[in-house]
Amino acid sequence: MLVTMNSVRLSYGRWPALDNVEMEIRQGEFLVISGPSGAGKTTLLRLIWMGERPDSGSVEVSGFRSDRIRKRELPQLRRKIGIVFQDFRLLDSRTVFDNIALPLQVTGTGNRTVQKRVISLLARMGLSHRRNAFPHELSGGEQQRVAIARAMVAHPVILLADEPTGNLDPDVSREVVDLLLEINRGGTTVVMATHDPRQVPAGKGRFLFLDRGVLRRADRWTELDQES
Amino acid sequence: MDRTGSGIMSLFQSSIREISLNLHSKPGARLVTLLMVALAFIVFNTFLIISWNLQGLMNREENTVGMEVFLQRDLSQAQGRVIGDNISSIPDVQSVYFVSPEEAEALFRAELPERSDLLDVMGNDFRLPASLQIVFEDEAMTQGRLSELARQIQAIAGVDEAVYGEDYLPGLLKTVTTIRRLVILLGIVLVSSISMVVFYTVRLSVVRRSLTVDVMKTVGAPWWFVRIPFLVEGIFMGVTGSAGGLLLAAILSKLLSGAVTHRFMPVSWMTMVILLGAVTGTVGALAGSYEKER
Repeated sequence: MLVTMNSVRLSYGRWPALDNVEMEIRQGEFLVISGPSGAGKTTLLRLIWMGERPDSGSVEVSGFRSDRIRKRELPQLRRKIGIVFQDFRLLDSRTVFDNIALPLQVTGTGNRTVQKRVISLLARMGLSHRRNAFPHELSGGEQQRVAIARAMVAHPVILLADEPTGNLDPDVSREVVDLLLEINRGGTTVVMATHDPRQVPAGKGRFLFLDRGVLRRADRWTELDQES
Repeated sequence: MDRTGSGIMSLFQSSIREISLNLHSKPGARLVTLLMVALAFIVFNTFLIISWNLQGLMNREENTVGMEVFLQRDLSQAQGRVIGDNISSIPDVQSVYFVSPEEAEALFRAELPERSDLLDVMGNDFRLPASLQIVFEDEAMTQGRLSELARQIQAIAGVDEAVYGEDYLPGLLKTVTTIRRLVILLGIVLVSSISMVVFYTVRLSVVRRSLTVDVMKTVGAPWWFVRIPFLVEGIFMGVTGSAGGLLLAAILSKLLSGAVTHRFMPVSWMTMVILLGAVTGTVGALAGSYEKER
């Protein structure tokens, strides 16, 4: 298992964000976590990249356990994880190329490798002509593709996408979901949190539904619809 | 992570690049921060200039507190100088100057020209007594020590009288001590205030760029890679802000030099000001980045 959550509970003050969550994510799967705003989707993803630790229970990701991991080991874990956010989180002062290259630069990857990987990803994302542009010069769809490229450049074992289509129009949203599916076909595990699971075609992934911190299972988004 | 030599070199290059990017981003916000730091330092520098001049004034006042030792009239100049040499060897005595009767008369006529007829009335045979003007070390500038020295000197054979301003000295020394204590107290308050201003200004400037820290954290940057650019920025802002404050204070001092006679602060004080800027900037940047990096 790539990710295992055992009896995970997490509260923000009196407010229970996640309640007794049991979950496993297998290598290579496409997992859709759905639920309304405030259901705990983002918290669940934060637990995976250990931006948050559970109050009780444990999270194990690629051999790192939340109750044993040391602070200095967190960067090692995070280098195995790619993260895409709804608001893209691109750095304004850097070009598209530099934003994508960042995860490699922080690990001391040689310049030639950085060039090779970033150029290859730019081509794959259809962004080669935008390599020297700054984030504010890009459309929303382009910004999200840059964010996905940045998440993928260091060859993560798992890609976490937190509402990746939340700020995009339907056509561009479809493109982004197709891109995530394509990445998954390449062997990378993808976990996508969304309030609208219909964006992912039925049969293309496993669907989980979060309702006020409680996780429920479903095989298709239609069942999620009934749940919600 | 690539731990080879080239990997470490690449990481080092990336870190330098990060520092440069950091220093070049948001120039407007950085300028505001620098201005804030510089303004805080102008207030501090003004205080330092006033303190420096006040200290000079007080030192001068203290140096006027010396002792005049009148020698017996029947002594020769050679005997007077021997007494002067003996007094020189007493601890706390900084210098002894022998004033001959001729020099005493010349001084009297120069300093009190309207009273010089008094000397004429006394006739040609009258001579002012020879005297010794004694300057003491700063440490001896207490009423107790001065009166002890006066007693000791008075006891030397050939000394007629030792005079040291017993009437005004206690008041002067008390005033000087009170002013010095006030300056030190005000200095501590100002150093604390300025440290807080620089600390919070730099910290705020770091926190404002929390996105960079968040992104660095999520892509697995080592802690030092995240903090070093902010650390350099903190030192840069602290040093530039304090140096800017010094420059502005120097311009202000120059402009006011016609109206108020004063001296600018010494190089050692200027160095301390820049060091204070560097330290507070560093601490502010570290606190800001630590807060966001947790």
